[in-house]
Amino acid sequence: MAVTSPEAAGTAAPSDSGLVTPPGHPWVTKLESVADAAGALVAWLTVGMVLGTFAVAVLRYFLDIGATWLQEAVTWMHAMVFLGGASYALRHDEHVRVDVFYRHFSARSRAWVTMVGVVVLLWPFCGYLLAESWHYVAQSLRMGEGSREANGLPAVYVLKAVIPLSALLLSLQGLAMVLRAVALLRQPASASSAAAAGASRGTG
Amino acid sequence: MQWASLLLFAVVVAALMAGFPVAFTLAGVSLAFATVMSMLALVGIGTFDASYLEAIPSRVFGTMTNETLVAVPLFVFMGFMLERAHIAEALLETMGQLFGRVRGGLALSVMVVGGLLAASTGIVGATVVTMGLLSLPTMLRRGYDPKVATGTLCAAGTLGQIIPPSIILVLLGDVLSSAYSQAQLRLGNYAPDTVSVGDLFAGALIPGLVLVALYMAYLVLKGVLEPESMPPMPPDTSGSALLPRLLKALVAPLALILAVLGSIIAGVATPTEAASFGALGAMVLAVLRGALSLQRLREVMHGTVKMSSMVFMILIGASVFSLVFRGLGGDDLVHELLTNVPGGLIGALIAVNLAMFLLGFIIDFIEIIYVVVPLTAPTLFTMGVDPVWLGVLLAMNLQTSFLTPPFGFALFYLRGVAPPEVKTSDIYRGVVPFVAIQLLMLVVLVVFPSLATWLPGRLYGH
Repeated sequence: MAVTSPEAAGTAAPSDSGLVTPPGHPWVTKLESVADAAGALVAWLTVGMVLGTFAVAVLRYFLDIGATWLQEAVTWMHAMVFLGGASYALRHDEHVRVDVFYRHFSARSRAWVTMVGVVVLLWPFCGYLLAESWHYVAQSLRMGEGSREANGLPAVYVLKAVIPLSALLLSLQGLAMVLRAVALLRQPASASSAAAAGASRGTG
Repeated sequence: MQWASLLLFAVVVAALMAGFPVAFTLAGVSLAFATVMSMLALVGIGTFDASYLEAIPSRVFGTMTNETLVAVPLFVFMGFMLERAHIAEALLETMGQLFGRVRGGLALSVMVVGGLLAASTGIVGATVVTMGLLSLPTMLRRGYDPKVATGTLCAAGTLGQIIPPSIILVLLGDVLSSAYSQAQLRLGNYAPDTVSVGDLFAGALIPGLVLVALYMAYLVLKGVLEPESMPPMPPDTSGSALLPRLLKALVAPLALILAVLGSIIAGVATPTEAASFGALGAMVLAVLRGALSLQRLREVMHGTVKMSSMVFMILIGASVFSLVFRGLGGDDLVHELLTNVPGGLIGALIAVNLAMFLLGFIIDFIEIIYVVVPLTAPTLFTMGVDPVWLGVLLAMNLQTSFLTPPFGFALFYLRGVAPPEVKTSDIYRGVVPFVAIQLLMLVVLVVFPSLATWLPGRLYGH
């Protein structure tokens, strides 16, 4: 069964992408701190969404003011939270997996799944998204696209630019995962089986 | 070339088994498949309409600007806040003290709190784990039969699927509303009726409450027939101070949940607005309890970011899948298959529900909602199915799936937090009566669709 995020389950999770390993490569910690920074930044927007939505409702019902720009600002924050946080969630292994088999895999098998998954699935998807959304943003920028609503927010291309940015952040976090996986696979098998015990405890 | 769409589905399901995150597996496999099919089309084998793929950025943008979906992070925020500020915990403890002296009272409190908590979080795993950690040791120490204790906890934990305001209903409402307008356009109705998240909340309320009532009736009956399976707790020594504690622990969160739900159902607020009241209210309750430190706030914020990224990246992955699936003519194929199922509408309904029930064993509700529902619901709607009724039926069906041994995932969560002396077979056997109640409830819902359609009809006049 697909078990959702360890965070949701309230259990202690190893703070890595399903692999209990030393980083192995000097870039790994730097790449992961990029994802963490993105997560920490957009985290505050969740409070902004709560307050913003509340303010929109209060303005409408009690003062009969339609704050379209504020409502759109909430939507922008929403988009930035889930797109900006995607790499952060990936770094902390919060994206749901079907773990019927994965749960029983050794650390080495998990490293293989991670490496092949990033190279064959994540990177091509991010690359496609980056390329396609590039045109999408450029077109919006050329038109000087603003909100369709009167009194809405201008510069919709800024919001659209979050799509390629998110794809880029996801690719970088993917690189960190690949480097970690490679480091683990290059370890002698005895060392990685000790790590396997740790990993299975973490997700059990 | 429609067979290729079925092949895509099979390849995606097989690839998911490797355990790479679902969102990126859905998107990556679908894109790879589309690339291969485009190349084959170039050399004259089959056809693939690649223009579907160009819609991906605008699909992503559609998700980013969908105001209904903003309710999801807000409800998640509320749920995390209630959990991290130990408001949920206090609720369970106080209820246990209040009803614990009655035979089976502890189990009944778990059921009530499960319904309430579920209503505020809608996160199955969180509810099962929180309540499992809090009340399973107590129940076992008081001499509860492990089967009764674990069955109750699993069942109570899945109530979050069906009792509004739940995240699953927000997502279902979003998918069903676009499927419904699509179906009406297909039927030539260019001024289509709409179905909203509010409709679905109102529709799920009565069936959800009936379900809780049936669960509780079973527990009471069990207590009468087998008194030794759920002994009462010894009298509470600090009985005099119970009332103020009860007020503090029970009344405030209850009022919050009723206010959120009530404002949606009364049509005063949109689900998104109501979710923001709920999140703000949970923050205020946490402050009043002196439980809101900067550290806690950070945990809640970060939890919300991770959870909403997880949900919406699956949504994006699933929309890439469905674009490729359509490009291969798969939606026509599904339509054709469903309209040719023997037994007409009933046959088609059974086929869809059976498929979802089985898929519920291996993939999570978000994937099912975004992969299966958009493909099948429009056909069911053109055959005349009521959208609110279908939504409630699907939600309850998925809930049953998550509760059914040996794969139901509520059972896995509870296994994860249950002490080793509780056997897995106890959990499996304990949940059987509740699965039977679920199946009974599904039949009741099919026989009496008005259970789901009466309240929204009454409120919104559809």
